Amino acid sequence: MKLRIGAVALVLALTLVAGAQSRSTAPAIKIGAIFDRSGATSDVGVPYSDGVLAYIAYINSRGGVKGRKIQLLSQDTGYNVARSEAFYQQLRTSGIVAISGWATADTEAFKARVAADRLPYVSASYAESVANPEETPYNFFIAPSYSQQMRIALRWISRQNPGQQVKVAVCYSDSPFGRSPLEDGKRYIESKRLPMSYDTQCAMRPGGTDFTAQLTRIRDSDYIIVQNTSAPASTLAKDAARLGMRARIVLLNWAADELFVTLAGAARTGAVGIQPFGTTALKVPGLKAPTQWLQSHGGGSIHRKGIHYVQGWYTTAVLIAAIRRVVAQNEDVNGPNIKTALETMPAIGTGGVTASIKFSKSYHAGQRGSRIFRVTRGRFRQIAPLTTP
Amino acid sequence: MATTTGVYHTSYRADLALRHTRLEYVRLALALAVVAALPFYVSPFWLHVLDQIGIAVIGAIGLNILVGYTGQISLGQGGFLAVGAYSAGVVATKSDLSPLVGVLVAVLVTAVVGAFFGLPALRLKGLYLAIATLASQQIIVWLIVHWDFLTGGVDALVLEPATVFGWTPTGDFDWYWVIVGFATLATITATNLFRTGVGRAFVAIRDHDIAAEVIGVNPARYKVLAFAVSSAFVGLAGALTAYWTQILTWERFTLDVSILYLAMIIVGGLGSVAGSIYGAAFMIAIPAYLDQLSLRVSADSILATDLPAIKLLIFGLTIVLFLVFEPRGLARIWQRAKDYLRLWPFRY
Repeated sequence: MKLRIGAVALVLALTLVAGAQSRSTAPAIKIGAIFDRSGATSDVGVPYSDGVLAYIAYINSRGGVKGRKIQLLSQDTGYNVARSEAFYQQLRTSGIVAISGWATADTEAFKARVAADRLPYVSASYAESVANPEETPYNFFIAPSYSQQMRIALRWISRQNPGQQVKVAVCYSDSPFGRSPLEDGKRYIESKRLPMSYDTQCAMRPGGTDFTAQLTRIRDSDYIIVQNTSAPASTLAKDAARLGMRARIVLLNWAADELFVTLAGAARTGAVGIQPFGTTALKVPGLKAPTQWLQSHGGGSIHRKGIHYVQGWYTTAVLIAAIRRVVAQNEDVNGPNIKTALETMPAIGTGGVTASIKFSKSYHAGQRGSRIFRVTRGRFRQIAPLTTP
Repeated sequence: MATTTGVYHTSYRADLALRHTRLEYVRLALALAVVAALPFYVSPFWLHVLDQIGIAVIGAIGLNILVGYTGQISLGQGGFLAVGAYSAGVVATKSDLSPLVGVLVAVLVTAVVGAFFGLPALRLKGLYLAIATLASQQIIVWLIVHWDFLTGGVDALVLEPATVFGWTPTGDFDWYWVIVGFATLATITATNLFRTGVGRAFVAIRDHDIAAEVIGVNPARYKVLAFAVSSAFVGLAGALTAYWTQILTWERFTLDVSILYLAMIIVGGLGSVAGSIYGAAFMIAIPAYLDQLSLRVSADSILATDLPAIKLLIFGLTIVLFLVFEPRGLARIWQRAKDYLRLWPFRY
C-alpha cells in the first residue's frame, strides 16, 4: 500500500512539474533539436548540444525574443537515422518552427520532408548536397561545406609542395558524413590539375578502435586528410605514428579540436586543422559570452569543453537571429518566414570566432572560407588567415 | 479450452470454432469499434505510434509463429525485416511497378531468404539455433551496407510516396487504415493457420519434435516451412515500413530490433496471436510515452539528457519483471482477468 501511495505521489508530482512548466504569459517559440549524445559521434556531439542548450538558456535569461521564450524540444537519437526519423515525426506535429539537426545521414534523408513540411533545418552536417536551395530549399548550415573544407585542404597541400607530385590519402568515417566530400575533392584535383594522387581506401568504421589495417594500405602517402570526429581521428593519428608513417595529418572541421590534441598525445604534433570556427585559445571577443555563460553555470573551462560548444552556440545564435528578424517585422513566426529571414538577413558577425555568416537565395552554406591551424607546443595555432579555394 | 459453463461442443466444427459465446462476439465487435474509432481521437503523435504498432503487430505475429508456436528461436528478425523493407524499396526505386507488387515481392523474397536461413534448424536446436540465426542477422545487414548499387549502402534509400489505384496515402491517418488492414489480414491468417494441419504440425514440433515425427510429421519440411511462413509475415511488415516511412537505412534493422521483437512476444505471450498484438502495442507504446514525457520536462533534466539510457533500463526491467511474475505474458494476464470476471462473484 505504501508503495502504491508513493507511486501515485510520484505521478502527481510529475504532472504538476509538467503543468507548471508549460504555463507562461506569451506563447513560447518552439524549436526542435536532434542531438547525438550517446552514439558514434558523441565525442563532438556532447559539447555541440551543450552549446545549443546553453545559447537557448542564455537567450531566455535575457527575456527571449521580444518577451517570447524559446522552448527547445530535443532528443538524443544516438547517430541513428531510424531514431532520428521517429523523433522527426514527433517534432513536426508538436508546433515547432525550425529544427537544429545533427548528422549528415538524417539531414540528407529528411531533405525532401523538411521542404514539404516547410521547416527550416539548420544542420551540424555541412554536406554540400544540402547547400543548394534549388534542391533543398529548407536546409541551411553556417560553416563552409565539407567539400569546401576538402578543397581548402587540397589547395593548402599543393601550395606547400610547389611543382612536386604528392600522395594524398583521405581517411573518412564510413558513413554519409565521411563520404560527403570525397567526390568533390577528386573533381577539384582534376579541374585544377593539381599534381597529386588521391587515395580513398581508408574507410573508418564508426565505433572502430584500431585503424592499422586501413593505414597499412596507404602507408606511403605524404598527407592524410581526416574527415571524421576527433576521437577516431586521434586513434588514427596514434596508429599512424606507431606504424612509423611520415604522412602529415590534415583534419577537417569535426576533428580539429581540443579533444584531438588531448587524446592524440605525442602524435598530435604538426597536425593541421581546417577549422572555420578557430579554437578556444583565440583571443577574440566572440568567445566571451559562451565562456562566461559556461563558467557561471558550472560548466568549467571553455578549453576543456572545446570549440564545438562554441559551434553549437553560434549555430543557434544564427537561427535565433533569423527568428528575431521575423518578430521585428511583425510577421508570423513560421517556417517560410524564418527561411526568408535567413536568406535575406545581413551578414552576421560572430566576434571573430568565424568569418561573417551570410546565406543567399542561391547558396545555403553560411561561409565559404576557413582559417588554417597547426598543432605546435600542445595546441592549435593559426598558420594561415581566412582561405578560400 | 475453458469456456463458460453450459457450453458443450457436440461436433468437431463447434470445437474448432474461434468463438463460442455471444459475449466473445460482442467483445470482438467492441475491439473492432475501438480500432476504427482510435485515429479520430488520438493526437498526431500517438497516431504515428499507432501506425508503428500496427506494423510491429504483423512482425510480432510472424515471429510468434516461429518462436511461440514452432519452438524455433530466432535472432534474425531484424535481418528479415530488412530483407522485406529493402525488397520493397528496390522495387519502388528501380522500377515503376505498383506498390502492391512491391509488397508481394517483399513477402516472397523474405519467405525464401527466411527458409534459407532456417536450414540450420534441421540440425540445431535452442541456443545453437539462436546463434545460427544471429549470423543471418549480421550477414543480411552486412550485405545491405555493402551492396550499395542496390541498397544505397550506408546512405539512406529514399522512396517516393506510394500510389495504389490512383490513391496516395499521405500522412499517418491515411496510412493507419492501410496498416490496420494488413494487420487484420495477418491476424486472421495466423489465427486460422493453427486450425489447419500445417499449424498443428508446427505446434507438435514445438511440444516434442521426436514425438511429432513418430505421429507422421516431417520435421525437416515443417521447420523450414515455419521459417518461410514466419518470414513472409515479417517481410510484409518490412515492406510496409518501407512505403510508410519512405526512408530506409540499415540502422533500422539491427540486432536491437531482433531483441525488441523477442521481447514483444515474451511480454505479450508466446504461442498466442492475441499476445503478439498486446506485446507489440506495449513495447512500442512505453518508449513512445517516455519520448513524449521527455519533451514535457525541461531540456536539461535527466529524463531529457539520458533518455536512451532510461529507455534501456525500462526495457530490461519490463522483460525481467514479466519473466518473473508472468512468463506467459499479457495474453495470460488478460485470460486470467476474463476468468476472474466470468466467475465473479462466486469462485469454484
